[in-house]
Amino acid sequence: MRNLFRNCIYQGKNLFRDFGFSFWSLLYPLIMAVFFYTAFSGMLETELKEINVGIDSENSIVNILREIEFLNVHKISKDEVVKKLDDEEIDGFVDSDLDIKVKESGINQTIIKEVVEQIKQMKKLNRPIENYDFSVDYIADRNQKANPLVIIFYSLIAMVSTYGVFAGIEAVSLIQANLSNIGERLNIVPLKKSKFILVGVVVALALNLFANGILLIFIKYVLKLNLFTEIKYSAILIIMGNLFGVALGIFIGSSNKKSNDVKTIMAIAMTLVLSFLSGMMGSGIKVMIDENVPILSRINPISIITNNLYRINLLGSTKSIGEGVIVLSIYCIVLIFTSYIFLRRQSYDSL
Amino acid sequence: MVVKVNNLVKRYKELIALDHFNMEVKEGEILGLLGPNGCGKTTAINCILSLLSFDKGEIEVFGKKMTPNSYDIKKKIGLVPQEVSVFNNLTVKENIDYFCGLYIDDKKLREKYVDEAIEFVGLKDYVKFYPKKLSGGLKRRLNISCGIAHKPKLIFLDEPTVAVDAQSRNFILNGIKKLNSEGSTIIYTTHYLEEVEMLCKRIIIMDKGRSLVSGTKEELKAMITTSEKIVAGFLNIDDKTIEKMKNIPHVIDIEKDDEDYIIKFENGVNNLSNLLEFIKDNNLTYTKLHSQLPSLNDVFLELTGKELRD
Repeated sequence: MRNLFRNCIYQGKNLFRDFGFSFWSLLYPLIMAVFFYTAFSGMLETELKEINVGIDSENSIVNILREIEFLNVHKISKDEVVKKLDDEEIDGFVDSDLDIKVKESGINQTIIKEVVEQIKQMKKLNRPIENYDFSVDYIADRNQKANPLVIIFYSLIAMVSTYGVFAGIEAVSLIQANLSNIGERLNIVPLKKSKFILVGVVVALALNLFANGILLIFIKYVLKLNLFTEIKYSAILIIMGNLFGVALGIFIGSSNKKSNDVKTIMAIAMTLVLSFLSGMMGSGIKVMIDENVPILSRINPISIITNNLYRINLLGSTKSIGEGVIVLSIYCIVLIFTSYIFLRRQSYDSL
Repeated sequence: MVVKVNNLVKRYKELIALDHFNMEVKEGEILGLLGPNGCGKTTAINCILSLLSFDKGEIEVFGKKMTPNSYDIKKKIGLVPQEVSVFNNLTVKENIDYFCGLYIDDKKLREKYVDEAIEFVGLKDYVKFYPKKLSGGLKRRLNISCGIAHKPKLIFLDEPTVAVDAQSRNFILNGIKKLNSEGSTIIYTTHYLEEVEMLCKRIIIMDKGRSLVSGTKEELKAMITTSEKIVAGFLNIDDKTIEKMKNIPHVIDIEKDDEDYIIKFENGVNNLSNLLEFIKDNNLTYTKLHSQLPSLNDVFLELTGKELRD
C-alpha cells in the first residue's frame, strides 16, 4: 500500500511537471474560457422575454399553463399552427396529445418541452399540478443562466472533464515495454502491471479533477459566471467525464503502437469533434443534430455531460442524469475491458 | 549457475534474431556479450528478462524458470537498459528514489541505498537537477544508478557506455568493477572490444544470433591461428618482396593497412628476429616495426570473416 502511495506521488509529480499536461489540462481550458468569454460576451446582454406557447383551446392543460407566469399562452386552432410558428408569434405548440411542435430548437423550446414533460409525469403519478412551482425549477436566476454563452461553457467544462485522456495515454505508455524506455524498466520490477495501471488511473483522475477545479474557480471568480446551482449532480457528471476521459486515454494508449505525440493528437481530435457535435462552437450544430440524428446527442459522451449540466443547472431537471451516467459507465467499462485485452500480454513479440 | 540459457530461438517474422543461442553465467563473474550491432545481444537480454517472448528454448535464472510473473527472481535483478530510461520531470534523486522504492519498502534502508547510489555514480552535485539538464555522460550515470540502487545480485548492463565522454566512460567501467567486487554478477553487452578486455572474466562472442565461442580472453585468443601480429612500415618494398616475405617461418598472411603492412604469424618463437633478418637480407629500410598480440577483433575476424565494427 505504501509502495502504491509512493508510486502515486512520484508519477503525479512527473505528470504535473510535464509541459504537455500543464498546457493541455491547465492552460488550454483557461485560454478557451477567455476566448469564448471574449468572443461571445455580447450574448450576456440578451434579456429573455416571455415564452409564447400556442395551445389548442380544447387542451386540458391550458389552465395549468396559464398559471405559469413566464409562459404567454395563445389559444390557436390547428390550422394556424404552421403560420404562427413561421411568423415566430409562438415558440412552440402543444397539441391535445401533449406533443410539441416547434420550428427550431432553442432555450424557449426546451423549456416548453421540460414543462410539458413535467406535467405528463405529474399526471401519471396523479399528483396535483397546482403544487408544482415551475418558476422555481425553470426560471430561477433565468436571466443569468439562459444565455448561449453559459451553454457554451457547459460544453467547455464537459470537454475538459474528459482531458484525463492525456494522463491515461501517459499511464499506459509508462508500463508498456514496447512503448517507452521506462516501460522496459518497469516491466522487470517485482510489481504487477495492474498496480501501475491503478496508480496511473488515480494520478490521472486526481490531476484532471484538480485542473477542472482551477477552471471552475476561474469561471466563477474571474469571469463571474455562475454556472452551477446543483453542485452534487454537476460534480457526479464531471467525475464521470473524468473517468470516461481516463478510460479513453488508456484505450488510445494501449490499442496501438503510435508515438505519444500522435496519440495526444488523436485524443485532442476526438475530444474536439465530440465537443463540436455537442455545440461548443455554437448551438446551430447541436440543433441540427438534435433534429436529424437525435441519437447522436444521447451517445456522444460530451453531449451527455453538456446536456445534463444544462438540464440540471438551467432547467432544474435531473430526469436524464441516470441515463447519462449509465451510458458513460458503459463507455468506461467497454474501454477499460478492451484495454485490458491489449494490456494483459506480459511478454512482447518485439520492443 | 545464475543464468542458464539453452537453445534459445527468437524470430521476428522472417528474421532469426537468436539462433539456438546458449549462455551460462556463473555467480560472481562479469560475463561480456560481445558482438556487432544487431547481432542479438539486447534481444538475448530481453528474452532472459521475459520482456520478449521467444519461439524455442529454456531460460533459468537463479535456478528457476524465468517467466513474466517471477517476482521473487525480479527482486534480485537490476537492469541498465541501452537507452536512458528515467523520468524527465523527476530530479536525479527523485528518479533514483522512485526506482529503488519499487524494490525496497523500508524507508531508512532505501534512503541509505539511494545516497550510496548517488555517491557511487558521482552525481552528488546534481541531485536536484532534472535529467534534461545533464550531459550525455551524466545521464548514463543516472541510468546506471536507477538500475543498481537496490543492490541487485544480478545486473544486466546493456551497452552502458554508448555515446559517453572518456571521463564518464572510465567512471562507469570502474564502477562496474566495484559492483562486481561487492558481489554482484554482471552481464555486460557491448561492441567495444577494449571494454570487454578490461572488464570481463569470461566472454561470449555473438554473431547473427548465435554464440560463436565463449571463454576467457586468453582462451579465445588461443583458439585462433594468429598468435602474433607485426606492424611494419617500409620505405622501399615491392610486391615481389612481400610475396617472398610470406616464406618467413610461421607467417600466415600479410595485409596492407594504409602505408603499413600487418604480418600475421601463427604459433612460433622468434618471429620478430626472423623478420629483422629478412629485412637485412633484402636491404629493406623500415620506418615502423612493432609486435602486437592478437585482439578479440582478430578472434572475431577469424571466426566470421568480418571486423567487429563492420
